Amino acid sequence: MSLTDLMSMAKPNLESREKILAKLTSKGLVNCFQCIKCTSGCTALKLLELKPHEIVKLVNLGFIDELASSDIIWTCVTCLKCFQRCPQKASPYHVIMALRNLAVEREAKVPEGYLKAVSRILEVGLAEPPAEVVTRKMEIFNRESLKLPNIASPKESFQTAFMKILEEH
Amino acid sequence: MKIAVFWGCRILTSQYAYEMSTRQVFPKFSVELVDLSETNCCGDPVKSVNDLAANYLAARVLALANKTGLENLLVPCNRCHFVISEAKGLLEKNVKFREKIIGLLNEEGLEYNSKIKIWHVIDFLHDFVGLVKVKKAVLKSLKDLKLATHVGCQIIRYSDLGRVDDAENPQKLDELVSVLGANVVDYAEKLDCCGANLMYSHPDSALSLTGTKLNILQVYGVDGLVVSCPDCGLMFDFKQKDAATTIGAKLNIPVVYYTQLLGLALGIEKEKLGLQLNQSPVDQFLTKIPL
Repeated sequence: MSLTDLMSMAKPNLESREKILAKLTSKGLVNCFQCIKCTSGCTALKLLELKPHEIVKLVNLGFIDELASSDIIWTCVTCLKCFQRCPQKASPYHVIMALRNLAVEREAKVPEGYLKAVSRILEVGLAEPPAEVVTRKMEIFNRESLKLPNIASPKESFQTAFMKILEEH
Repeated sequence: MKIAVFWGCRILTSQYAYEMSTRQVFPKFSVELVDLSETNCCGDPVKSVNDLAANYLAARVLALANKTGLENLLVPCNRCHFVISEAKGLLEKNVKFREKIIGLLNEEGLEYNSKIKIWHVIDFLHDFVGLVKVKKAVLKSLKDLKLATHVGCQIIRYSDLGRVDDAENPQKLDELVSVLGANVVDYAEKLDCCGANLMYSHPDSALSLTGTKLNILQVYGVDGLVVSCPDCGLMFDFKQKDAATTIGAKLNIPVVYYTQLLGLALGIEKEKLGLQLNQSPVDQFLTKIPL
């Protein structure tokens, strides 16, 4: 079932639309005139059928709840071509990011990797743990054996501040 | 001159060759890299979760850069460069946001000062050091190499933010490769994305994007691909074998960071440039570089 089919059963929710608008620094999305430049250049169109112009239209129509719980918002590769080429500065990229934030607030399906990254940042400051790398000759190296400086972790005050801001919406 | 440097997670935790080669080549142009006193994620994965928290992380990096007393910050990762540039734009334009973020930074004893310029390796070498100086420093001409470049997405878009190069026709990386003596191939798929950002949600699609681009490059008969972003390096180099399996093709393209290529042209030993760490077949590539 395509995204538009899904909407035929849905009712617009203008309150949710206000939530999305409040998350955006620019209100350019309301000026979208469906020229489809975004979709024609979208990296995720061919493989994952992301159509940014549809997302923007559905947000403008108020079908936010459906979008926030849909997998489609997690297909964006964030290549930024849509915003770059948009004549109306509607920025599907920022609209998709706002929808992702709303999905997290509503505890909808969120790819685990994102949440793992956030908890790791909270713990150690970085989104990933330092990896050992195996060379083409199967030798194992890490930062120390490559004589790279130690990673300077953030002070404890960082955790408190980051936690505080995460709890705000 | 001295420049503060923020590496970001990907370089510090797996793309060691980019860090090693950058640490090697910058001093050759009398540029001293000053690491930040502490480091945190730039906020990139957090943007999908909580935009304000992401911008706080990026602003914190700027405040840590301010702490060095330097007015230039090198950010060699494309993603970090974008996230930090976008936060800087918000700090400049959005009063409500600025007050909130600065308040939080102050609680941590950090201060933000807008007098800091964000550079990427590509525009720093191209615009600040300059092509003439880069060319003069070359000890080994790479004239036997036919190379393609992949500049990545987030250092060239979106233009309103002020980016490293033109969004639709970026030339700086090509020019930086040309001055080393190599032949640069122009190709229609140059702006195609590596797919890295889909690794969290759709890894097969991510690898399919990576593999498709590499497969096309094989048709052009290039000796290698030059990248300037740790995410692109991760996908095209570290994950080249996985990408080949995903698309069901044989892929055999040496992938190097620009700083590694530059280091080779400057006569720096390959181990110091981390060339033992590349997972793509760079050995065949190295035989074409004069001893």
